[in-house]
Amino acid sequence: MAAYITHPALSSLCKINCNINAIYSLISFSRRISISSVLSTSAVTTESEAAGQGVRGQRRSKRQAGEPRTERMTVDQDWTAVYPTAASFKPSTVPLPVRMGYPVKRGVPPAKKGNLELIKIPNFLHLTPVAIKKHCEALKQFCTEWPSALDSDEKCMKHFPIQVQSKEFVSAGLSLKNPDARIVTLKVKLSSLNLDDHARKKMIKLGEERYCKDTDTLTITTDSCPLRQQNYDYAMYLLTVLYHESWKTEAWEQEKTRADMEEYEWEDSPSQKNVLDTLLRMRPLGAKDEVEELLGQPAVQEYRDTMLRLKNEGETEENLHKYKEAVKKLFNI
Amino acid sequence: IILNGITAHLLPTYHSEGHTGQYYMLPPAHIQKLFPYGLPPRFQLQIKTFNEGCVMVRPPALELISYLKRADYSKPPLRYVLHGDIGTGKTMSLCHVLHYCYTQGWLIVHIPDAHLWIKNCKELLPSSSRPSRFDQPIQASQWLKNFKITNERFLSKVQLDRYVWTKRESTKKGQPLGELIDQGVNRMKSSSDVVGAVLRELRLQAGGTTEGEGAFKLTVAVDGVNALWGKTSLKKEDRTMCEPEELTLIHNLRKMMKNNWSGGAILTALSQTGSVFKPRSAYLPNELLGEEGFDSMEPFVPVSVSNYNEKEFESCYLYYLDRSWLQHPHSRSEEGKKELIFLCNKNPSILERLCAAL
Repeated sequence: MAAYITHPALSSLCKINCNINAIYSLISFSRRISISSVLSTSAVTTESEAAGQGVRGQRRSKRQAGEPRTERMTVDQDWTAVYPTAASFKPSTVPLPVRMGYPVKRGVPPAKKGNLELIKIPNFLHLTPVAIKKHCEALKQFCTEWPSALDSDEKCMKHFPIQVQSKEFVSAGLSLKNPDARIVTLKVKLSSLNLDDHARKKMIKLGEERYCKDTDTLTITTDSCPLRQQNYDYAMYLLTVLYHESWKTEAWEQEKTRADMEEYEWEDSPSQKNVLDTLLRMRPLGAKDEVEELLGQPAVQEYRDTMLRLKNEGETEENLHKYKEAVKKLFNI
Repeated sequence: IILNGITAHLLPTYHSEGHTGQYYMLPPAHIQKLFPYGLPPRFQLQIKTFNEGCVMVRPPALELISYLKRADYSKPPLRYVLHGDIGTGKTMSLCHVLHYCYTQGWLIVHIPDAHLWIKNCKELLPSSSRPSRFDQPIQASQWLKNFKITNERFLSKVQLDRYVWTKRESTKKGQPLGELIDQGVNRMKSSSDVVGAVLRELRLQAGGTTEGEGAFKLTVAVDGVNALWGKTSLKKEDRTMCEPEELTLIHNLRKMMKNNWSGGAILTALSQTGSVFKPRSAYLPNELLGEEGFDSMEPFVPVSVSNYNEKEFESCYLYYLDRSWLQHPHSRSEEGKKELIFLCNKNPSILERLCAAL
């Protein structure tokens, strides 16, 4: 006897258990039942759901969202309490009317509520100046005081002539590291190093484009090692090597020619020879003059100054004019 | 003709500061003799058009003339270098000073443009006397012809030393200069060496105080002197570039530039217009002469030539008006004059080209 129970699954099972003899009819019946059970299940579940909600409505209501916190924020609140750490953008806690996104046609960028674009990007709401001041205050207990003797820039430069610069990068992406953070720049003024004339010239020649003539600084930039510590060590090593090498004098440095000289020197130059020749020829025959005496004349000295200026500083109208005056004085025009 | 400050027929000796801006006329006989090829080509056209050659008296030329007047000719010659931007009148000033020298009776060695000797030479022969050098017979013989025209009165006065040209030809001691020049002109092959010999002779004999009749002052005027130390655009037979040192003419000219002789003056002008391999903006002596040239030329007196000032421009404008060169009616008005000033920035050559179109 089939006992019909309201529960459909149980009822189908019952029917299958009862009608075991008629297999083909069973199969078709079971099939029919399975189809019908599927159909009826879906129908019944919705029914039951509606019924369930109605049932659950008394127990668990979907809460309506209350007013956002921003309504209750005062202007002079403590922001560091709202965003103490790095957190994603929460539209209900940030009281700014921010819009972001691509506007639809003849529209405006979408508002902040439910805006995925604002949530995706990194924000620095936890790093406002007030927050940073608080960080500094908190860190102060771990810091030592600035030495009182170093109160001016000149004193700092005098005691610590080497300046090392490197960059820190803050990023909130997939990886926190930035490969550019390993670059180290070392700047030092050559006047603060103990170099004599030959060493200084050699150092400038070895440094090539790393030396800036206007500010007298040698800048060494290293980025060949993967870590900043390694790069710093390498830069210090380069400085030491340059310093020691420039003090040494090699055997082949004796062969330095006029073309290698950094500055124009008037002694032993073709210019000096020309002037000497001319002056000697201009002397009346029979009068013997020492070379030093000839060179020591004020007119010759002035000529020398103008020549040095012309060659070292480049040629300008002014320099040329002074050269003309010097030549005129030399030959008493 | 004296119109608005054009003083004609006044010799350069009498030019002074008060004459700046005024034009003076070059006597036609002098033009023919002194400047067969010396004047700038546009100026030569202007002479033909106006039927007279008028040169403006300007401060650089006056300065040079004053130096020449005061110089001591028993001492080595002073070198004067005229420099300035393109078209400011360096060649014209040089010609002005040369005219002064000519009227004073000096012997003039004038090379109108040294750039012509380092480019576009059709024939380049290996030198007959020295194996490593090259001759330029056409240029040399042309120069000898011009020299002959300019310095006719000296041709018989200067006596020569002995020179051997080939196994059969030689110049005996005591022969006059004219014969040597004739030989150079006739026999093209040895003309470059003849030039060298002429220059050497003049160098040795200039300013000789004991000669008496044969005493003369020598002026060496070279335009475009930066050609002597620059690069050439000539190629040797094996397609390598020729150095200026290897050309006989240039070599001898460089020897003239040195001041190891006495009794004269060396006037030079730099020029960028004809130079090879030099940028257009270069106009200072160091840039154009190069290191080598500067070292060889110094100590020299640089004389700078600049654009017209107000007075000179006024004078030039009035001269063109007087010659009826400015045909356009607007150019006679004040506005037209201001336009001209604006367009040419008072640069002499640009002004001349502008007015030619009006």
